Amino acid sequence: MRAGGQKWEWHIEPRYWRNPLIYVGILVVAPVLIYFIYPPLLPTIIEANLLAAIAIPLALMTISTGRMNFGPQFYIGIGGYTAALLSIHFHLSPGLTMLAAAVGGLVFGFIMSPMAIISGGLYYSLLTLLFPLLFLEATYIFTDLFKGDTGLSGVAPLVSTGYFSLNLLIYAFISLTIMLVYLFAMDKIFRSRYAIQMAAINDDEEVANSIGVNVNKVKILGFTIAATLVAVVGWFYAHYYQAFSGQIFLPLSFMLKIFMVTMLGGRTQIYGCVIGGYFIAFLEMILIRLTGDMSPVLFPIILLILLLVLPEGLFGLYRKRRYREYMPTLRFRR
Amino acid sequence: MAEILKVSNVSKHFGGLTAVNDVSFSINEGETVGLMGPNGAGKTTLINMICGSYPVDSGKIEFLGKDITKLPPWKRCKLGICRTYQIPRPFPELTTLASVCVSALYGKDRPNRGLEDAMTEATHYLEFVGLFSKRNVLARDLTLFEMRGLELARALATEPKLIFVDEVMAGLNPVEAEKAVRLIEHAKDQFGVTVLWIEHVMAVLMRAAQRVIVLHYGEKIAEGPPQEVANNPMVIESYLGRG
Repeated sequence: MRAGGQKWEWHIEPRYWRNPLIYVGILVVAPVLIYFIYPPLLPTIIEANLLAAIAIPLALMTISTGRMNFGPQFYIGIGGYTAALLSIHFHLSPGLTMLAAAVGGLVFGFIMSPMAIISGGLYYSLLTLLFPLLFLEATYIFTDLFKGDTGLSGVAPLVSTGYFSLNLLIYAFISLTIMLVYLFAMDKIFRSRYAIQMAAINDDEEVANSIGVNVNKVKILGFTIAATLVAVVGWFYAHYYQAFSGQIFLPLSFMLKIFMVTMLGGRTQIYGCVIGGYFIAFLEMILIRLTGDMSPVLFPIILLILLLVLPEGLFGLYRKRRYREYMPTLRFRR
Repeated sequence: MAEILKVSNVSKHFGGLTAVNDVSFSINEGETVGLMGPNGAGKTTLINMICGSYPVDSGKIEFLGKDITKLPPWKRCKLGICRTYQIPRPFPELTTLASVCVSALYGKDRPNRGLEDAMTEATHYLEFVGLFSKRNVLARDLTLFEMRGLELARALATEPKLIFVDEVMAGLNPVEAEKAVRLIEHAKDQFGVTVLWIEHVMAVLMRAAQRVIVLHYGEKIAEGPPQEVANNPMVIESYLGRG
């Protein structure tokens, strides 16, 4: 190509299309376009962002402990109920309820974190699976407080412009901000010196311990930070729906969705979590519209088939061919 | 020579089985000490106790005059104790450079060491064991000999004062075994480490060790220069049985 007598060559090199700003730009522009073209799609975008925002800290939790947590929704429950109870009974502003939800997640995460030290493998998975269900039972037992059957309602909204679609657009941007902040923070952690010790723990914690890695400290820190971040998502759910019910977030069906985001996205790869979140949210929405009542049955079946067909996940399709180019190698770990 | 490690009356039981019974010995700085014994003699259990992988049932372990009996493994590593494994245990999904980098970062306390500094340091150790060309290969893709080299590099990168080498010859062909022995001898010279070498192959310890300790059914049955130990009737009996 010639322009002004100068010869120009246009190379489409990986460094151009791998630039994360392109993808962030797409995620930012998409809600605006949807707002003008088809606003009913905005809740799906919000759901996708939130699923990714849960799966990204879960990746940190999984990698830093070397164990798969099957109960991240427990911390959504902690954050959601903390925010809802404080908002309804004490009329605290969303800013304060977010702080309280984060503190709740931090405290419960810290209390639960020794689980990653004393148990491993199947026992750890079963224990983590059990806690959300126990919490759900507790919401029925202490129904005066948690309103186990109906859920808590009357939570103050985060935004109220008077226009429903505009509210949704603002919620979409808040959820996107949460997700991108998590993504950016995890990216920083996974490229730092702390990631390399997490990778070592993930591979062989006894050997990591013998070469100077304080395994217990890494596990407790990773677990607690991830629990805090997930609790903030619970806070958002409570204010977004202006209600919070354990029946929606604590059962296994919600856990299955998060698990699929993690696995289908690409086995706890943080970028894969974003792809997985959008994929699952849109798949669920399409199935509900196409198959109606059959969707609760079809949804898990399709996901299981995809899990079998794509063992490395959606992001793995891209990553698995070029993983050795990168250092440290943690970013593409399971 | 100053005493670097002192093990006093150490015992370990697994249920009714006594793996190590009242073993005492010491190692001086700069020495190469061999630890021998038939299979199941308790050699690796003893090393596991000194490194902190197994808690000690009774007895005391001192390193550079400090009681380390109750310390966790990572603290012992920071003091200067490191080991290799009988069956190599690399970090399978990390590259060799990243594996050694973990040790360079977290082994000995080195203030202000960043990831880049650790990477540079790690390349030095990889070069030493001859794995520089494989720095970006995943550890799981290495051969057995290379894995042993990686384990040595990983251990050396913690800047240890005392290194335990656990049956480095197992599974290697004679050429590789010779290379491995030379590598450990070079490591001792270059990095000034003290070596406790667990080995079945008598000829290797005859050549490399200044002193040999022999365990049998968890008890120390002999200690002394290799030639003397090789002629000890109790050692011969423990290996070959009663005539």
